[in-house]
Amino acid sequence: MTKQFPTKLKGLLATAALALVLPGIAAAQDQTLTVGLTADAVHLDPQAGEELSSNIMFYHLYDPLVRRDANLQFGPGLAESWELVDDVTWRFTLREGVTFHNGEPFTADDVIFTFDRLKDSLMSNLAKNIDTYTAVDERTIEIVTYQPYAALPNDLAAILILNRDHAEAVGEDQMELQPVGTGPYQLNEWIREDRIVLDAFQEYYAGPAEIDQVVFRPLTNPATRTAALLTGELDIVQDLSVRDVERVAAEDGFEVVTRPSLLNLVLALDVRPQSPTIDLDTNPMTDRRVREAIARAIDVETIRTVIMNGLSTPSEQYVPSTHVGYLEGANFREMYPFDLEAARALMAEAGYADGFTMTLDATNNRYVNDAQIAQALASMLSQIGITLELNLMPRANFFGYIRVPSEQSSFIMSGWDVPSGDAGSMYASMFYSPGTREGYSQVNRGHYSNPEVDRLIDLADSTPRVEERDAHLQQVTEILLQDIPMIPVHYEQDIYGVRDGIEFEPRTDKFLWAYDIRIAE
Amino acid sequence: MFAYTIKRLIQMVVVLWAVSVIVFLMMSFTGDPVFMVIPIDSSEAEIEQARRILGLDRSLTEQYFIFLGNLLQGDFGTSYVFRQPAIDLILERLPATLEIVVVAMVIATTIAIPLGVYAGANPGRPLSRLIMSGSLLGISLPGFWVGMMLIYFFAVEWRIFPSSGRGDTVEVFGVPTSLLTADGWSHVLLPAITLSVGTLAILLRITRAGMMEVSRQDYMKFARAKGVSRRGVLYGHGLRNGLIPVVTIFGLQLGDLIAFATITETIFGWPGMGKLLVDSIYRADRPVIVVYLMLVALIFVVINFLIDILYTMIDPRITVK
Repeated sequence: MTKQFPTKLKGLLATAALALVLPGIAAAQDQTLTVGLTADAVHLDPQAGEELSSNIMFYHLYDPLVRRDANLQFGPGLAESWELVDDVTWRFTLREGVTFHNGEPFTADDVIFTFDRLKDSLMSNLAKNIDTYTAVDERTIEIVTYQPYAALPNDLAAILILNRDHAEAVGEDQMELQPVGTGPYQLNEWIREDRIVLDAFQEYYAGPAEIDQVVFRPLTNPATRTAALLTGELDIVQDLSVRDVERVAAEDGFEVVTRPSLLNLVLALDVRPQSPTIDLDTNPMTDRRVREAIARAIDVETIRTVIMNGLSTPSEQYVPSTHVGYLEGANFREMYPFDLEAARALMAEAGYADGFTMTLDATNNRYVNDAQIAQALASMLSQIGITLELNLMPRANFFGYIRVPSEQSSFIMSGWDVPSGDAGSMYASMFYSPGTREGYSQVNRGHYSNPEVDRLIDLADSTPRVEERDAHLQQVTEILLQDIPMIPVHYEQDIYGVRDGIEFEPRTDKFLWAYDIRIAE
Repeated sequence: MFAYTIKRLIQMVVVLWAVSVIVFLMMSFTGDPVFMVIPIDSSEAEIEQARRILGLDRSLTEQYFIFLGNLLQGDFGTSYVFRQPAIDLILERLPATLEIVVVAMVIATTIAIPLGVYAGANPGRPLSRLIMSGSLLGISLPGFWVGMMLIYFFAVEWRIFPSSGRGDTVEVFGVPTSLLTADGWSHVLLPAITLSVGTLAILLRITRAGMMEVSRQDYMKFARAKGVSRRGVLYGHGLRNGLIPVVTIFGLQLGDLIAFATITETIFGWPGMGKLLVDSIYRADRPVIVVYLMLVALIFVVINFLIDILYTMIDPRITVK
């Protein structure tokens, strides 16, 4: 931002002049934060789609009913409080005195409008558990779920509230270009691929943001992001390149901040009687011992140090410890530590001492070092006689290719993150028996089926109480860790470069939020 | 001339049609765009709803004819990802790209032609050898490396220019340009130089080759003997006769830079249209890719048309048929 330089200079001169006239009074200078993102936002309409840059903008411009904080804890947002009326009915009391950027007051009708529009949008998935919703009065909303569903508040954290009057006045075409929400910032300008400028919304219900203006600049090339940080054009950069970590850390006036991300890299194992890429009458992976052997043959620590430069966190379970369903004390890495002898013995015991051949489907441009990890897996599994053929493809092809019923896949590497802080949605879509329940097992790519798991997921999805849900899901976790339908590998690390003087704590969900950031000087 | 223009127009329509068919066919192999826009754990019903919204529930042939029908009414299709008219997305980014390309071409030509003429006229001199090895370097250095070096020295080390972005713009007839503000120029120079390096080297070598070719001609010696100054001979007789290949390459390079300035744009965070193409391929956003490549084809056809006209001005013996 060169614009910043003269402005800053002017600001400094003005401050200096003022300081001369009024010694002792530090002028409340306008604070600007400039952030380097990896890509421009695609949408400013939260119901048009989602990806990281857009999500970051959404939470500046709009508010959800329930707010998810930096550590995935859920608390009041535009809804001040909520209670269960019966097993499927929730009553939300809306906050009073909230206004939209256009000056309209926030009412129950806006929530109704938001849900109506969402149901017909590309993002209808966000409201998949919501059956009906009604405005009881101006400040009260009742939401009925299809079945008792304890994680409803978590889901609501992803639904951002629109203003009916505005949406109807500007029309669908303009929703992307003229966002109006109740969020702490409002749009000043959006020059595609160059910058998005947001100004603090002075009427924000929780008090105006300390930082008056946030400028987001999309810089796709990692080296350019680093350069722009070092030249002072940026205050924070997202996804600092691994190559530049040492350089930035060594430089005076900058620090590197890391945090494990939510994205769990996982390997799905096919357990159908016959597997598409395995030329044998029975699929060896139907035998639990073979699955365990594969888990033990994968050296996650080597992947971490050699391929990820130390910037990954080996996964203990399928979800991180912050989540509902996380089983205290259980650790996949301790249950199945890297041990080639044991792995070979298991293969021999199962009758596959000579191994077999199968194909790994993986991306080559979606996850950090995905292609290298796939190659490492091939050489690791060759140690126990498994010849792994690699089928790497760009992500545009990948997700259609591996789509359930996964007719071409035996072994799939993909990432999964659960920002809702609840393992239930992941378990229901990945591990529920295929074809038995509508809306379940959409991504059960290995065709895993276990009546006990189904029963527990059903139980979890039929209680409105979080503690009970947690207990059921923890049991599922325990069974899954025993059964190994999927091998969790690691969480990628989120890496930021930050200028000194910026107080910045990365969020678990990666949705950088200027409202929580402070500028010290 | 009139017949020639008509012929070219028909040619253009055929080229554009071929591009649209090829892109449609190619895109049917590059994965399903639906999975680029909705969460991957969406249910069948949600996937169906998304397909309907995006118009992907019809067969590819049907989609193609709908596309053609809309095209005839001036509707170029809507991006799956942005949900906005594809042509708007491209045109919005076109001025920024044209800006660095024009500056790059100006830099390339003003340096390449005099140096090429010099090196062609004095092949033996040490300076000529230096120029020629420099041009070899210019051809072989990858653009992204040149860009990163420029950023490293001019932005990070010496702090002369900003590392990236477009800077202040001024609107001229509704089109934003950086070329009228000092801040804008400070942002334009590094990417434009990066973009110019390859073209500069190629133009220089073509100019030199042309000059060496014509300097052996009798009319050059004759003109010199007649008393025309050395400079006059070189530029008035030599360059003019050696210019045809230079102009041809100039045209091709111009089209190439406009269409595929992607790498330079990405390195400098320059908000041009090249990046849009790459992102769209990545996201399987067919409507944008089709319109983009059709626009590129159009640009090439128009440039070549203008170059043909230019030939007749350089060499009156050439006529367009």
